[in-house]
Amino acid sequence: MMGWIQQHPMTIVGLVLWMIGILWLMPGKNATKPRPHMIGVLITAVGLVTFCLSCGKANSELADDVMFWTFGIGALMSGVLMITARNPVYAALWFALATLSTCGLFLLQHAPFLAAATIIVYAGAVIVTFLFVIMLAQQSGAAGYDQKSSQSLLATISAFVLLGALSVTLLSEKIDIERPVIPVAVSNEAKDRSDQTNRTDLVEKAALAGNLLSKADAEHPVGNMKGLGKSLFGDYLFAVELAGTLLLVASIGAIAIAPRREQGTL
Amino acid sequence: MIPDEQRFLLVGAGLFVLGAIGFMTRRNLILMVLSAELMLHGVSLTLVTFGRMHQTNEGQAFTIFTLTVAACEAGLALSLVLSLYRKSHSLDIQLWSELRETDMAGPKLEIRTLSDEPTSSYEDIPKLTPAGIVPKDQPRTTATSAATSTRT
Amino acid sequence: MSEDVQQIILWLIPAAPLISAIITALLGPKLLCYKSHLPCWSAIAVSFVCSLILLLKILPSVGHVAASVDGVVAAESQAADTHSAAAPQVVAAHASHKSHTSHDGHSATVPQVIATGYEWFSVGSLHANIELRADAITAIMLTMVTGVSLLVSIFGSGYMSHDPGYPRFFAAVSLFVFSMCMLLLSGSFIQLFVFWEAVGLCSYLLIGFWFQKPAAAAAAKKAFVVNRIGDFGLIIGIFLIWTNFGSLDFVSVLGDSARIAAVEAAKPGVIQLICFCLFLGAMGKSAQFPLQVWLPDAMEGPTPVSALIHAATMVTAGIYLVARCTPLFVMAPYAQMTVTGIGAITAAIAALTALTQTDLKRVLAYSTVSQLGFMFMALGCGAASAELVTPAVTAGMFHLFTHAFFKALLFLAAGSVMHAMGNVIDMRRFSGLRHALPITHWTFLVGAAALAGFPLLAGFWSKDDIIAVLGEAAKNGNVKYRVFFGAIWAVAVSAAFLTAFYTFRAYFMTFWGPEKFPEEAGHHPHEATPIMAWPLRILAVCAAGIGLVVGPTHLFASYLEKTMGLTPVHEHHLHWPVMIMSSIIAIAGIGFAWMFYVASPAIPAGIARAMKPLYAISQGKFFLDEIFKGLIVVPLIVIAKIATLVDQYLIDGIVDTAGKIPRALSLIPQQFHGGVVSNYASVMWVGVVTAAVLVLTMF
Repeated sequence: MMGWIQQHPMTIVGLVLWMIGILWLMPGKNATKPRPHMIGVLITAVGLVTFCLSCGKANSELADDVMFWTFGIGALMSGVLMITARNPVYAALWFALATLSTCGLFLLQHAPFLAAATIIVYAGAVIVTFLFVIMLAQQSGAAGYDQKSSQSLLATISAFVLLGALSVTLLSEKIDIERPVIPVAVSNEAKDRSDQTNRTDLVEKAALAGNLLSKADAEHPVGNMKGLGKSLFGDYLFAVELAGTLLLVASIGAIAIAPRREQGTL
Repeated sequence: MIPDEQRFLLVGAGLFVLGAIGFMTRRNLILMVLSAELMLHGVSLTLVTFGRMHQTNEGQAFTIFTLTVAACEAGLALSLVLSLYRKSHSLDIQLWSELRETDMAGPKLEIRTLSDEPTSSYEDIPKLTPAGIVPKDQPRTTATSAATSTRT
Repeated sequence: MSEDVQQIILWLIPAAPLISAIITALLGPKLLCYKSHLPCWSAIAVSFVCSLILLLKILPSVGHVAASVDGVVAAESQAADTHSAAAPQVVAAHASHKSHTSHDGHSATVPQVIATGYEWFSVGSLHANIELRADAITAIMLTMVTGVSLLVSIFGSGYMSHDPGYPRFFAAVSLFVFSMCMLLLSGSFIQLFVFWEAVGLCSYLLIGFWFQKPAAAAAAKKAFVVNRIGDFGLIIGIFLIWTNFGSLDFVSVLGDSARIAAVEAAKPGVIQLICFCLFLGAMGKSAQFPLQVWLPDAMEGPTPVSALIHAATMVTAGIYLVARCTPLFVMAPYAQMTVTGIGAITAAIAALTALTQTDLKRVLAYSTVSQLGFMFMALGCGAASAELVTPAVTAGMFHLFTHAFFKALLFLAAGSVMHAMGNVIDMRRFSGLRHALPITHWTFLVGAAALAGFPLLAGFWSKDDIIAVLGEAAKNGNVKYRVFFGAIWAVAVSAAFLTAFYTFRAYFMTFWGPEKFPEEAGHHPHEATPIMAWPLRILAVCAAGIGLVVGPTHLFASYLEKTMGLTPVHEHHLHWPVMIMSSIIAIAGIGFAWMFYVASPAIPAGIARAMKPLYAISQGKFFLDEIFKGLIVVPLIVIAKIATLVDQYLIDGIVDTAGKIPRALSLIPQQFHGGVVSNYASVMWVGVVTAAVLVLTMF
């Protein structure tokens, strides 16, 4: 632990600044005189950038980096501003921005379908619904309960403790991913080989392939629509059907729970 | 040096943590649900990244299910929020503290009057400049009125 | 008569009433209803016949069997000599562990029949057996008890004929007769004690027969509690007997005077203590001062109950005990003097109280107490000299015998009066009943005359004997005690005079004077029905004649002397001077009563006005109840209240505090449940973070 701290001082600094920034921005006791907003934003931004830069450079091209940094810092900053916004409408809008940034990150991760689906579902449907509810339910604008946050200190510190632990884990070393290999039938002679077998044979013999249809291969790399379709409707057909049923049930439920017109509208 | 994919995991972790902070600190019901959705964003990002690290489409498939469930959850959550709003006419979650011990006092609800801040009304909502011909009717001042009709 | 038949007859005496009690209790309420008297009558009749057989055939036959003399033990102690008459005891040995029959081999001089039942319990060297032992005194008393019980139960079925508790009455009466018979037939102190308590229980049941009446319930409780005080003394006495004699059997404790002397020599004064304690028990049961307060209140019970229990049978148990324990008492002169003294005090107090009572039954109750005092006065005369022991005991038992008859008669006649007067018994509310109720009038007159000691009637002979014995003690007894017994003699004579006076006061107030009936009587009081009249007649004959039959003829005395512990007296003579004196006293008492209540009724009122404080004391029963209440009851109530407070505040307080501790402890975790969702979420989040951090850092 101590070694890691010595190795990554900037990470700690970044995290701390980030935390201070969030605490600064939190709607606190002083409603009449809130702390200056821009300073909090600045501190958060500085903390974020420090944190991200301390992650180290990756072995990728500049364009990748720039896009990653844009979307990443954008997502995180939007998240910070969303949770500390006093006006709920602003918070919803910051959430929209965070969603967009996340979709950008999806795109960078070779998941175009997911990016599109997220934008449609979240930014299109969920956020709009939320905004409608906010506007209907809070017609006087910002209400008292938006101006105060409860237990901000406890929440922030504990959350950043977790983030710190996660950073320690993720920044220490490369995560060793055992990429499963398609098992190859091994002939009996191969079994009788001596113990000086190479790794691939062992891996071949003992490989747990997982769901075969979800494999990404040369023809269908990760994120390919065809491959995704094969995965969804091949390996996870049952789950897809269930998801459809769940949507049906949820829509019925929403209709059933929501108050009727004769019971009075908002 | 970490592989470039691992950076995404950090972002996902950050989003998750921010969503958790928001869930715990906000008192507005809608914003709590929104913070939960932010947590889901972080989780989706992590899932996709792991899927890519494992070179499999499972991450994305699972994220699609997560999306589906999140949509259902949002719909149902909003219905429940509306039911709660009907009872208490407020989106404050601290009004619903019946689960406490009977001889304990509830949470102190400070309804602060925003004396200095102007209460937003219809006029405060940002309006776009009307496109096209200026409509004859003046916009009404009551908030319950229907939206002004714009004629193109 | 073979031994088996003797055994059966002996067992029948208590068994028949017991079976009748069980049958009446089980089947009475539903099945027998107003025929519940039938098992009771038949059972008591069987007991009576068996007692007669025991009295007249079995014991004399036992006494006359010429068998080997089981050794003559010449008592070298200064106590009563044991006679070596050849009268071996008949022992029906059923159980094999009867060790007491072959002890020391010398108590085979009195006629007695022993029937063993079974061993009740055996702890260490204490063997408590259920066995029946009948000797002379037992046989006499059994005959008297069963005879009077039979007549009273016949009367009772007429008296209680419309009472809804009819079966309960006869069940309780049968149970009482069983208990009394078993008490008289007990062979050991512990069996005696068991049935001592049993008769107390039956008395409680019968006094509180009309338990819905609060006065009756209170009187029953009072009787039981006061008896309990006496029983405390009795049980202490029994403990002392056990520790000193090692056995509780009558034969082994009372049969050997040498052994008693040895015990007294080993621990001087212990026999005195034992006798005091036993007498305490007798005081409770026989209503002697200061424990006599329960008997007048016991008149709340039905009149047949008063006649049976509180005149003839239960209250005589104390006298029976003292008479039975004569071998012990003769070694304890101070105890005997206490017996006599208490008897005298009781007789005097009760007689003085009876002078001013207006309730007919209460007069008779106080008269009973007074007569019991007479009996105890007689029993204690053995202190004066050794030869007087047997005459003293004989006099006391004879008075008990005759008193049973005339007192039962008086009570039953009073019951007949009550029945006719609509349950009114206050003498001020009726008078002049002698024309309206002729049978009741004549039988009451016979009983009253017997009680007063009118010449030649039963009470005359027995009271005579007592005064004679007292006079002997005062004249020729131990020099140390002459003055004492002289004083007692004076008290006895005065009490005899007062007895005659108040008895005839009651008689004249009730049956003479202008005819006056209370409203409850209806327009015409009806005389006793035949079922009530015949017992009255039979008892009147007994009261009149029985004294004459067995007294001067010395039949009674010679029969009684054969009891274990009594030495036969060689000469019996009539005490002429005493007879003349007591005749004069009785007639003088009757004359005074005539003068006061018939000739010039203004005199009593005048005397009452003149001696107001004395009158108040007499009418207030010497304020004994109030004294007891102040000295004993009120402090106990105060202690009880204090105990209640301690229980309520201290003990309950501790327990309640112990109950409040979990609540107090729970106030701490309660803070975590404020109902605020954000708090819940925060706590959950902190938990998740902790777990995640632990997992992540331990990788």
